[in-house]
Amino acid sequence: MATEQVEAGAAGHGAEPRGKRSEDGQATYLIAVAEALWEEMERDERVFLLGEDIGVYGGAFKVTEGFIERFGAERVMDTPIAEETIVGMSVGAAMEGLRPVAEFQYADFMSSGFDEITTVLSRYHYRAGVPLPVVLRGPSGGGVRASSFHSINPEPWYAYAGGIKIMCPAFPSDAKGLLKSAIRDDNPSMFLEHKWIYRRIKEQVPTDPDFLVPIGSADVKREGADVSIVTYGAMVHRALEAADGLAQRGVSAEVVDLRTVYPLDEETVLRSIEKTSRALVLYESYRFLGIGAEVAAVIAEKAFEHLDAPVIRLAPPNVPVPFSPPLEDAFLPQVADIEAAVDRLAGW
Amino acid sequence: MATKIERDAAPSGEPLPDDRLREILYFLKLARYFDERMEALYRQGRLPGAIYSGRGQEGTHVGVAFALEPEDSLFPTHRDLTAQLAKGLDLRRVMAQFWGRIDGYLRGRDGNSHIGDWQGHRTYAVMSHLPIAYPVACGAALAYQRDGSRRVALAICGDGATSNGRWHEAINTSAVFRLPVVWVVNNNQFAYSTPNAKEFAVPTIAERAAAYGIPGVRVDGADVLEVYAAAHEAVERARDGGGPTLIESVSLRWRGHAGHDPAKYVPRELLEHYMLSKDPVKNFEEYLRAQGVVTDDDVAAIQARVEREFDEGYEYALASPFPEPGDVTKGWWVEDGYWTSVPGRAGGTVAG
Repeated sequence: MATEQVEAGAAGHGAEPRGKRSEDGQATYLIAVAEALWEEMERDERVFLLGEDIGVYGGAFKVTEGFIERFGAERVMDTPIAEETIVGMSVGAAMEGLRPVAEFQYADFMSSGFDEITTVLSRYHYRAGVPLPVVLRGPSGGGVRASSFHSINPEPWYAYAGGIKIMCPAFPSDAKGLLKSAIRDDNPSMFLEHKWIYRRIKEQVPTDPDFLVPIGSADVKREGADVSIVTYGAMVHRALEAADGLAQRGVSAEVVDLRTVYPLDEETVLRSIEKTSRALVLYESYRFLGIGAEVAAVIAEKAFEHLDAPVIRLAPPNVPVPFSPPLEDAFLPQVADIEAAVDRLAGW
Repeated sequence: MATKIERDAAPSGEPLPDDRLREILYFLKLARYFDERMEALYRQGRLPGAIYSGRGQEGTHVGVAFALEPEDSLFPTHRDLTAQLAKGLDLRRVMAQFWGRIDGYLRGRDGNSHIGDWQGHRTYAVMSHLPIAYPVACGAALAYQRDGSRRVALAICGDGATSNGRWHEAINTSAVFRLPVVWVVNNNQFAYSTPNAKEFAVPTIAERAAAYGIPGVRVDGADVLEVYAAAHEAVERARDGGGPTLIESVSLRWRGHAGHDPAKYVPRELLEHYMLSKDPVKNFEEYLRAQGVVTDDDVAAIQARVEREFDEGYEYALASPFPEPGDVTKGWWVEDGYWTSVPGRAGGTVAG
């Protein structure tokens, strides 16, 4: 899949309306997210949305455009710019039986609510046994020239907190099915959309209102025999593109999409390694202590006897996401980097 | 909206009946006795973990708790254990928590006054990062506003927590949505060792309410009935859709921040003044005697009850088993069923 030219106003400013599926029934990732929210709000009146500019304005990326007309201002609640309170208020509402879904304009701004997420939301059930069916969602990830404060992959921070299920889907169907599962789940969850994927990837997305994708389940997006590329989020699309190129040179790469980064589906990952004996762990969070660091450790610890080569990690360096296109391209793993890493593995 | 700083009118509403007044005295005396005995056990090395004394501030704690109905929720801090007791928590299970036992409200997952009983008495399990519960109280109040139950959330924090951004976020948000919540600041004049003058530059905390467009009131924490009256008025206003109120209740922390802290930073004369003239327990006892609500025998009976209950709680705590170590990872996810099943109880006990 060729990387398309970055859209104007890529960071969401001046984004076009949410729109609908195309005539042949295909939905973008963004539409799939909106459909999941809409269907779950129709299904369960305890579900409500809160966040900044999600009501009248329809959200920074227009995910919730049209929602306030259907569900009203109480269930599509515009809040002050107060992320600690957005999270804490979600917790309190969940403690009293509601099922809040909080939108963050960018996943970067979840860190403005960090303490309520990592101290309250993540630990309360373990300490006191009160279920907290809260979903925090927002667009993460880079590749859209949005620089340091609108491009982050925050999943390792919150995975480390524990107690919060964290999803980073790569495809519209997975996004829809996982978000619906998250809203129905009695545990806290964090749903990290990827803004690079929002309008770039389209596919046929199920319309069954009870279509769900199980949380904590990885998916092999491309079968292969020589090397496993274990990845998630936008990097899945880069991996698939690399796999196409590798196939032309006779190297067969398997692409494992984690879909959920916490808890990890170790079984699917290990099954793939048993088959290929070589593992490239590709991820968009930082190389040092990013999600892939844990994945690599799991493979090294539990699949040692199956490995024919060291586990290789490919991930951005631990620096802020830079703006200038050549810098951001150097920061993010590119298709050529993936192919080179697979070649190294295949050479063992 | 006008902001009332000083409370000069007589307490509003109906006067409390005598049996409720005697109950208040019971909780005040329970709080004082519990605090003193637990500190002694702590100093003797017979109590694991930490203690956070609420001595000198009992008037605030009992006063606000008595303004709540059982269905109303309370979001306290570590220093407000007395408010949780007055909301109805079982002293025996509270003490089991202090000794890390399975019969504590949190099954040993947390200790000391970091306690709560949400499912039973609608008290939030205390967390340290104050005022971490203020935003959470907004959420509970939001649910009450929507479900028409006329319930109210009441959150307490200290003066120290008013310097934190969340305090402002939560109060502002509650005012914007006119949430049924009452914000109580137990101003005991020191944030650990930092005095009020180094915490904020306004004369009182209560007047900050003007910045959010809500009423603010300042009361004497040594007078439990004054606290109760202000809290009752605020709770009923919230119940009737009138939105949030900020209450500053002024007292002095008689002991250190925690058991280890001798609090030498508190001026001796100030402490003596509060201990001699502003003792909420002694003052209320004298008030009830003067009003003819209690006799010497009544007071002696209350004291005997308090001491007996403490001893029973202590025995209960030490007889309760520890949690099963193999359960350490359980309760992380709802679906593992730990919190909806009977927990493992480790065999044997260790003396306190």
